[in-house]
Amino acid sequence: MAAFGQSTPSVSSALSVAAQLPATKNARPKSTNFSWPKVLTIQGKEGILFIVGIVLLWQFVSTSIHFSGKYLFPSPVLTTKILWASLPELLLGTGYSFLILLPSLALAISLGVVWGLVVGTTPALSRMFSPFARFASPVPPTIYIPYAIALLPTFRTAAGFVVFIGVFWPVFLNTANGSGALPQHYRDNARILGLTKAEYLRRVVYPATLPYIFSGISVGLVFAFIMLTVAELFGASNGLGRFVQLYADYADYPRMVAGILYTGVVVWISMEVLERIKKRALFWLK
Amino acid sequence: MSAAFVQELATPEERLGIEVQALQFAYNGAPVLVDINLNVAEGEFVCLLGPSGCGKTTLLRLLAGLDQPAEGTISWNGCAIQGPSLERGVVFQNYSLFPWLTLAQNIELALSKSHPQHDKNWRHKHAEDYLARVGLAESSGQYPSLLSGGMQQRGAIARALALGSPVLLMDEPFGALDPVNRAKLQDVVLDVWAKPQKTIVFVTHDVEEALYLADRVVVLGSSPGRIIQEIIVPFGRPRLRRIFKSREFGLLSERIDELFREDILQRIEADSGHASCREVN
Repeated sequence: MAAFGQSTPSVSSALSVAAQLPATKNARPKSTNFSWPKVLTIQGKEGILFIVGIVLLWQFVSTSIHFSGKYLFPSPVLTTKILWASLPELLLGTGYSFLILLPSLALAISLGVVWGLVVGTTPALSRMFSPFARFASPVPPTIYIPYAIALLPTFRTAAGFVVFIGVFWPVFLNTANGSGALPQHYRDNARILGLTKAEYLRRVVYPATLPYIFSGISVGLVFAFIMLTVAELFGASNGLGRFVQLYADYADYPRMVAGILYTGVVVWISMEVLERIKKRALFWLK
Repeated sequence: MSAAFVQELATPEERLGIEVQALQFAYNGAPVLVDINLNVAEGEFVCLLGPSGCGKTTLLRLLAGLDQPAEGTISWNGCAIQGPSLERGVVFQNYSLFPWLTLAQNIELALSKSHPQHDKNWRHKHAEDYLARVGLAESSGQYPSLLSGGMQQRGAIARALALGSPVLLMDEPFGALDPVNRAKLQDVVLDVWAKPQKTIVFVTHDVEEALYLADRVVVLGSSPGRIIQEIIVPFGRPRLRRIFKSREFGLLSERIDELFREDILQRIEADSGHASCREVN
């Protein structure tokens, strides 16, 4: 099953980084007399200081240097004010985006995991599907966007389709690789217990492959946001990507920068939620 | 070595139980086991004793049906072993339990296969009983990663019991344990073996452990793995640890050590013989 991961240059290069498994422990410095707010602990003290430094530099550059394109470079204070003012519109856009994102994500993860488990544990299927996966998985999913918009009846189905493609391959490839490389002792134990193929997949292969599956989902989630926002830049009537594109068209750059920042926060929070789910699901890893 | 308590079983009599005949096994073309003939009677406790790399784990996997021999036959009560079966429970050196299931859930999974007619409540109750039998009554809700090595192996024994197998195959189950836990677990195994009577094949490289546990010790030599002697252990049961201080025990240990030394010497001579042949060529 190593064939799946090796032959997919664009996707698998991202996957190979994500699949450094199982990276469950964060080596973060612990302070005895001061504790950072829980939401900030991912970056730790140094990470927060770096971000504060960047914001200060941004404020300094945007307010102290005079150049002709200054309106393109709003200060963080102005951006924050505009972000606050645009929040209802952004929240509504988030709602629209998630209406496309979540069903596609759920479908891609379900199919990617089920098909990955079956292919990874069935050598004949692996041999059959591997050549197609080698060809199809490296195709950058963004390339499908114009065609999907032309081919599918509504923008929602087109965007949903490209999100699906972006999530399916990393989830499938990681799941197939993980289940194909199942440690021998799990297989031995399953055989000793006389588990049926369905029991083996559900009770043994699936939980044992979960670290790989979560790596695939992490990569897939980032791809999903990329696909969705790029698709929305093309032809949406609402959503996060549309917000940014609309105000770029109006040359309202402070609002556009606010939209970019807001999108970053949404992606970050989504990754954090995924990380929490992962930690809960992989509690049994030492 | 006195012949009074060492018996070489060149022609084992026909009997039911595990029968291994003319077994050969190779891995990547290299012979791992050659010419293995072995009988284990029903209810007998046999230890496979040998140095690392002598193929004793391979032989156990073949008995379990996890691997298939290149040549020869293995049967249990006259039926050829062609794959794993609930008739033969296995306790591995590590990793017998699934880490994502609690101890009780691990046992319940085994019970769902050995007693498919019973419901979840029945399985849970009996899982608790099996865990209590190996001294883990308080830990049934724990995940394996939170347990010590000794407790994990107790859990593995409980799981093998839950399978209801008449044969238990144990692959150096206490190899990674400290001496105190090892001694405790050895007594658990003897208790499990006796009530109800089971057939046990137990792999170890520890001479003391083999002589304490077994009715018969099968000594394996290495490169390739083969049986170099079978020794009937003369100590009665229940066996007490004070046998370790007896003269017979000392003589038996010495005899086995000598067998290992002879085996190593033969290997070295064979290797140097091959080397000199190569030089001549």
